[in-house]
Amino acid sequence: MWKRVLKMLVGLYLPLLALSLFLYSSQKEKQIKTLSENQKRETTIKKNNFKEQSYSFLHDTHYWSTLNYPKEFDPLGKHEEFMYRYIELVKAITDYDQFRFLDLNGKEFFRAVRVAGDSVVIGNLQAKQEHAYVKAGLALKRDQLYLSQISLNRENGIIEKPNKPVIRTVAPIFDVENNQIGLVVINFKMKSSLDVLKSKVADTNVYLLDEDHRIISSSTNLEDLPYEFGDTNSTLAGILDPNINTYMRDSTFVDNNHIWSQQPIILNGTTHTFGSKSNKSSKIITPSNWLLVLEIPPRLIRASLLPVSESILTFNIISIIVLFGFSYVYQKNKIQKEEFYGELESKNLLLKKSKDQLQKNNLVVTEINNCLEIRNKQLSDFNYLISHNLRAPVTSMSVIVEMIRNEKEPEKLNQLLPKLDQVTKSITHLTEDINEYVAILDNTQINVTEIDFLELIQEVENEFTETLLDDSTFEVLVDFKAWRKLTYSKLYLQSILHNFISNAIKYKRENVSSFIQFESAYENNKKVLYVKDNGIGLNLERHGENLFKLYTRFHRNISGKGMGLFLVKSQLEALNATITVDSNVGIGTTFKIIFEK
Amino acid sequence: MKAKSNILLVDDDTLYLYLMEHTIKQLTETLKVDTFTDGEQAVEFITKCTEENVELPDVIFLDINMPFLDGWGFLAEFKKLKTKIENNVNIYMVTSSMRDSDRKRAAEFEELSGYVIKPVNKVQLKEIFTKIYHENWQE
Repeated sequence: MWKRVLKMLVGLYLPLLALSLFLYSSQKEKQIKTLSENQKRETTIKKNNFKEQSYSFLHDTHYWSTLNYPKEFDPLGKHEEFMYRYIELVKAITDYDQFRFLDLNGKEFFRAVRVAGDSVVIGNLQAKQEHAYVKAGLALKRDQLYLSQISLNRENGIIEKPNKPVIRTVAPIFDVENNQIGLVVINFKMKSSLDVLKSKVADTNVYLLDEDHRIISSSTNLEDLPYEFGDTNSTLAGILDPNINTYMRDSTFVDNNHIWSQQPIILNGTTHTFGSKSNKSSKIITPSNWLLVLEIPPRLIRASLLPVSESILTFNIISIIVLFGFSYVYQKNKIQKEEFYGELESKNLLLKKSKDQLQKNNLVVTEINNCLEIRNKQLSDFNYLISHNLRAPVTSMSVIVEMIRNEKEPEKLNQLLPKLDQVTKSITHLTEDINEYVAILDNTQINVTEIDFLELIQEVENEFTETLLDDSTFEVLVDFKAWRKLTYSKLYLQSILHNFISNAIKYKRENVSSFIQFESAYENNKKVLYVKDNGIGLNLERHGENLFKLYTRFHRNISGKGMGLFLVKSQLEALNATITVDSNVGIGTTFKIIFEK
Repeated sequence: MKAKSNILLVDDDTLYLYLMEHTIKQLTETLKVDTFTDGEQAVEFITKCTEENVELPDVIFLDINMPFLDGWGFLAEFKKLKTKIENNVNIYMVTSSMRDSDRKRAAEFEELSGYVIKPVNKVQLKEIFTKIYHENWQE
């Protein structure tokens, strides 16, 4: 039972499972695709924002480089007044951390440093000619702008605390006569820019990398530029295979359940028109390009797929429960049905058996019934024989006795007395005949054996040898092709055959060659014997019903007791055989005997 | 052909015939009795009577069981001759059979006037004769 339920359950559930897995994977793919697209868009926005930020820095620097500075510009001395309004401007732009002018030798000749909020102090001048940005700045031509790497600000070679990520812009400056007088260098505070850049959308991780894949800023690092102070998590090693993200181009891909979206920020060598469109465009020179990377970690993918997987799981659980219930009910019904059919079949078999038995019994009963009917008939015949044939002489006797009593004349008495003798004689004959008949009826004494008809006929024929010799015109013919052996009482058959032959001889026609023929046959699977003669025949219309009765005779001039056929019939019926007759006057008689099996 | 007989006895039992004749004689001398020992002879007699225009007997006492032609056979043949018979013939079945089947069969023959069981005594005979001859049969 449980095995069948389980089998059915599995059979029904497997397609559903496959379907749900397919749905899940397609949903996952779709989800990842959506996530990737969103991420890509996000990356683009962030990249553009960062680019804008950089341009705005460069725009400022461009502004300072296009000013017409006085000849022999001395901002701390004779041109202090000229500088005054510009210092106010420097104060107002809070992104400025430092604002400096350097001469063509790389030495500062103006230095304003932000101390807090909108207060700026004029700092001590320093010689910066050894710094990379100064060297790069001095190499700039007109309409070229320099953007430095992002780095932590150092004062006198030591990282300023708290960490202050800065980016430097450098541009050449010119006097009214269009001679280059030095450089303008601005330090921009990058903290807020980087904070905006790495601000998270949902759980997405944001990384800003330099060309060497060092982390400049990331949502996973508390401090920016971790490599500068020796933090171990300064690259993406261990998170993303460095071979994958070396391509400096836009790409979005899935790696190890992470969705990565990366876009390079390339400013070096690009040109940009700052301020009015009519201005000449400036070329940007920078030592480093950046790579902006956004990562959706597996946890987030899983979280986004949670509703889908939850609903699919629920669907599967409900499916299993429903299918289990269905399978259970179905199999139970099926088993009940099978049991029911099995029972029905066995009952059917039983019924069939009893029916067969009944039919057999019926046959037996029918047979017995036939026997009883014959027996009944015989008894009835016997009764009639006694009541009629015996009664007649007895009544006659009573009449004679009565007459004798009343008779006075001795002469008449003498006439009556011999009549009594006649009565007693007829009674004696009758009782003898009855004896013979009763012996047949009482068939418990019948001894049956297998009899060869040919032999028996020969035997009986011999009893008539003299008669037959006297009359050579009589023949006994036999035809036992169908069968010749029969289990029967030899005594009876002998008597029966004797009677037939005797009758055939007695009632033969004159002037023809007479015969009696015995012929065996099968009819309806029963043995049949035909006894045919060409004798004088009998008017069956007149005598048919009396033919086999006791003391009936039909031919006046032929002697007979009227007992032969009566005994034949009795002897046949005693052993369940039946006899019928067909006869025509002047042609012959045919008896048909049917032996029951 | 002899003169008309009044009573015809048909029975194969000769003793019965003797006794019946004897009894009838005791009752009356006026009625002439004829006897036959089987139906065939009786039929031949009646056929002859019709052929020679001799009146048939008034009463026939007919046995059932007889050789050559039994009582029923006689009745069947009598039926055939009936159209040629002019006077009224009373046929009585006389038998020692007390079987119901015989009695029933007898009732089917309208030619039969009665069914008498042997032995037939004087009282019965008187009744029958009185019925047929009224008072004209006794001496």
